[in-house]
Amino acid sequence: MSDDKLLVVRDLTTTFATAGGDLPAVAGVSFDLARNETLGIVGESGSGKTVLSRTIMGLQPRVNTTVTGSSIIDGFEVVGASENEKRTIWGTEVAMVFQDPMTSLNPVMRIGKQIDEALRVRLGMNRKDAKARAIELLELVGIPSPVQRYNAYPGQLSGGMRQRVVIAIALACSPKLLMADEPTTGLDVTIQAQILNLLDELKERLKTSVILVTHDLGVVATRTSRILVMYAGRIVETGTTRDVFYHHRMPYTRALLESSPKVANKSHTRLVTIPGRPPNLLSLSDGCSFAPRCKYATDQCHLVRPELQPSVEPGHTFACWNPLPINAEATLP
Amino acid sequence: MSSFSLEEAELMVEKSEKGEPLGLFFWICVFWIGLNVFGAIFANVLPLPNPLNENFNAINVGPGLHHLFGTDDLGRDIFSRIVYGSRVSITVGIGAILIGFGVGAPLGMLAAYRRGRFDSFLTTIMYVLLAFPAIIATIAVLSFWTPRSLFKIIVVIGVASIPLVYRVIRTATLSVATKDYVIAAKVQGATDRRILMKELLPNIAPIAVSFFLIGVATVITLEGALAFLGLSVNPPTPSWGNMINEARTVLTQNVWLAFFPSLALCLFLIALNFIGDRIRSHFDVTEVKL
Amino acid sequence: MLRYLTKRLMLLVGIVFVISVGSFYLIHLLPGNPATVILGFGATPEAKAILYKQLGLSKPIYLQYFVWLGNILHGNLGVSFISQTTVSSVIRSALPIDGEIIILSQIMAFAAAIPTAMRSARKPDGIIDRVLGATSFTLLSIPPYILIVVLVLFISIKLGVSGTGPSAYVSLGTDWITNLESLSLPAFTLATVSFVVYYRILRSDLIATLQEEFITMARSKGISQRRIMWCHAFRPSSVALLGAASVNIGSLLAAGFVVQYLLQIPGLGYTLILAINESDFLVVQGIVLTVSVLVVAINFFFDFVINMVDPRISRE
Ligand SMILES: Nc1ncnc2c1ncn2[C@@H]1O[C@H](COP(=O)(O)OP(=O)(O)O)[C@@H](O)[C@H]1O
Ligand code: SF4
Ligand SMILES: [Mg+2]
Repeated sequence: MSDDKLLVVRDLTTTFATAGGDLPAVAGVSFDLARNETLGIVGESGSGKTVLSRTIMGLQPRVNTTVTGSSIIDGFEVVGASENEKRTIWGTEVAMVFQDPMTSLNPVMRIGKQIDEALRVRLGMNRKDAKARAIELLELVGIPSPVQRYNAYPGQLSGGMRQRVVIAIALACSPKLLMADEPTTGLDVTIQAQILNLLDELKERLKTSVILVTHDLGVVATRTSRILVMYAGRIVETGTTRDVFYHHRMPYTRALLESSPKVANKSHTRLVTIPGRPPNLLSLSDGCSFAPRCKYATDQCHLVRPELQPSVEPGHTFACWNPLPINAEATLP
Repeated sequence: MSSFSLEEAELMVEKSEKGEPLGLFFWICVFWIGLNVFGAIFANVLPLPNPLNENFNAINVGPGLHHLFGTDDLGRDIFSRIVYGSRVSITVGIGAILIGFGVGAPLGMLAAYRRGRFDSFLTTIMYVLLAFPAIIATIAVLSFWTPRSLFKIIVVIGVASIPLVYRVIRTATLSVATKDYVIAAKVQGATDRRILMKELLPNIAPIAVSFFLIGVATVITLEGALAFLGLSVNPPTPSWGNMINEARTVLTQNVWLAFFPSLALCLFLIALNFIGDRIRSHFDVTEVKL
Repeated sequence: MLRYLTKRLMLLVGIVFVISVGSFYLIHLLPGNPATVILGFGATPEAKAILYKQLGLSKPIYLQYFVWLGNILHGNLGVSFISQTTVSSVIRSALPIDGEIIILSQIMAFAAAIPTAMRSARKPDGIIDRVLGATSFTLLSIPPYILIVVLVLFISIKLGVSGTGPSAYVSLGTDWITNLESLSLPAFTLATVSFVVYYRILRSDLIATLQEEFITMARSKGISQRRIMWCHAFRPSSVALLGAASVNIGSLLAAGFVVQYLLQIPGLGYTLILAINESDFLVVQGIVLTVSVLVVAINFFFDFVINMVDPRISRE
């Protein structure tokens, strides 16, 4: 393992024991992340992005959940580590920005205290220093009059402001890896751009690696160097952002691109949604999970699952029996 | 409820967990309640000695073949008194809660369905009434409204339970009334009556039944307390409450006298509470939270 | 916040009004002449005449209410015709005993319920949770009057622990140790009754809170399990606990009545039942009024505290 890899994920699998049987929310995911890299994970809602990003840092639910494979963050093996062991990297090595700022902040705790907490517990700061640092962080994430806001309850802030607080908390202990799980999905369109730009700017300034999770390809288009496309808990295509956008081979990636308002349809007139519904993870077939919705599907697709295979560009892989032709570029802007 | 407060019964109904199986113990409880109710109804045709019959040749006899649970200090058969005593408890419990549901449930459903002024007016009144501690009110009214009778006890407890039933049913209906299928039915022009009966009622039934049963248990506990304080039906008519009350003065001579009615009461309450709890958690399945 | 409190305060006034009308009207539920009720059957015609004038008993009933209300507001609840002492002094000497029993019981109940509920919620359906669940469910169905009888039987009679049985009450002023002994069984009974409710409510609320996203967020900060439980889960859930405690007060007082009656502890409950049995109706009316207003006031106070704990409530 070379030193420039901050994160190495191998064959990561997360299975929930549910009333309806074992539910494989993440299956056999492998990838690497270099230092200072920004990686995008995209996929429809329900494709396992949240579960994957939580499993990577060991934050999956503690009951009825089985994780196998390996996820090594800066030399620390997360899979199989106890809660106490993982605690040593949470916050300081890896932190998460959650999807919904309405629910991810403790509603009955002043926001200042929520930032302080990490500083005091993890970094051992005293009350005064922690407060000063917390106010600095609030300023850093662009919250006006941070001294007054320090004493506010989450309910007194707007969604965008709350998400800034969540980011401040995540950055409090200067993590090397920041996981941002749909950080703008719950927000207004205008606020979305602000938050994403803030993340970009902070990433540059603090030299953090970022994993940006989203269902909206428009979000990752200009902000990531590489993209993983997920479907039904698996990676179905991966490559540089450019390759995924312009040379994708997997019909699902294409469908995803077509359904993204900013990318496919500049006029915003009509949003093409992917026909059909995501598969039921409790009863997956042995074939390609996308087959029931895929217009290129053949018999083989229904029977045998395609493995990831390299495309022409280096580092570009896809899982499909009937890949799109290599010059798919023409159809997209 | 151990603490004869319908308010707590309400808290319990709201807080139980969802989607659990009924289980064997549930059916044992159902059987037990059935047995008790059967005994209460058919007490006079069952081969039981007269519960008022005093027999001074058999005073304070322990449990045995002749007298299953023994006799009391007047030689009356305890088993027979317990079976007859269940009549008072069960009648008061069911009677009072029926009054509460008879008035509170339709009002609660209507208020939640209609909303608007009707709802806010009714709900404000009910909240004011709710703030009045029902148990204190019950004791107060029963102490002034003499002479006491079973009927008066039922009426007083029943009236006191109306605001609570109202609140439970209203809350339950509210959560259903905003669901898509109800709105769809409205849009399709279904009559109010139809929506109330066909869409809302079946959906709030689990909570209603559960609260009914736990409510009966609560009222039975309350009746016991009133009997204990001498505010319920007068001796010699047996009731579980006044049997325990009479027995406590002779605790040192005859423990069985207090033991059996207490056991009968507790088992009955456990069974009722358990059935109520399970019905709610079994039938009221909401989406699993992720 | 201020608006919320004003609204609650107005509701409080409304409720107290209803309580006062209810309590006033109680006397008229009795068959016969209110003067007889108030003065007892042996009263002389002169005494009745004075009372008639004093309470305006010949006036219409709503005017009588205002005369009565005026007296109440001056702290005049009337005179007990049995003991010939004022009702307010009767209440003043009895009330602290209820207060003491309830405070003792609540300390015990919270001390037991909070740690056990935390324990259960950490591993729902674990062995500890199951045992506690079954125990609390059984206790839930055991009325306080059976509990106290069992306790008296085993502790006072079988084990012979002195100072715990019937008629053993010693006032706090006389000797506080004996006083605590004499109140230990009642307090324990009420504590059990409350514990069951608090444990169950807090447990299920904690389990729900622990599912919340902000708990995962707290986890992701790398803080200890203990800190997550106390600083992040307990506080939002304590709102449910306080709510339960508030609702519990009424039934707790009533349970207190029962245990006092059994052990002949001269608190409000025992006094009330004696007054009922002696037809000393002004005492009954006074106690009913006092207790009802107290319960409402305590509920209002809890509302206020809950508001302080959870800033979400007043904003909704
Ligand atoms: N705790 C859980 N228990 C059972 N199933 C879960 C749990 N969390 C997520 N899932 C399931 O895993 C799948 C992936 O969910 P998620 O990762 O949230 O998708 P995404 O973030 O891509 O929208 C979904 O089908 C979801 O139902
Ligand atoms: S493998 Fe077959 S079904 Fe799956 S995406 Fe490719 S063509 Fe479609
Ligand atoms: Mg997600």
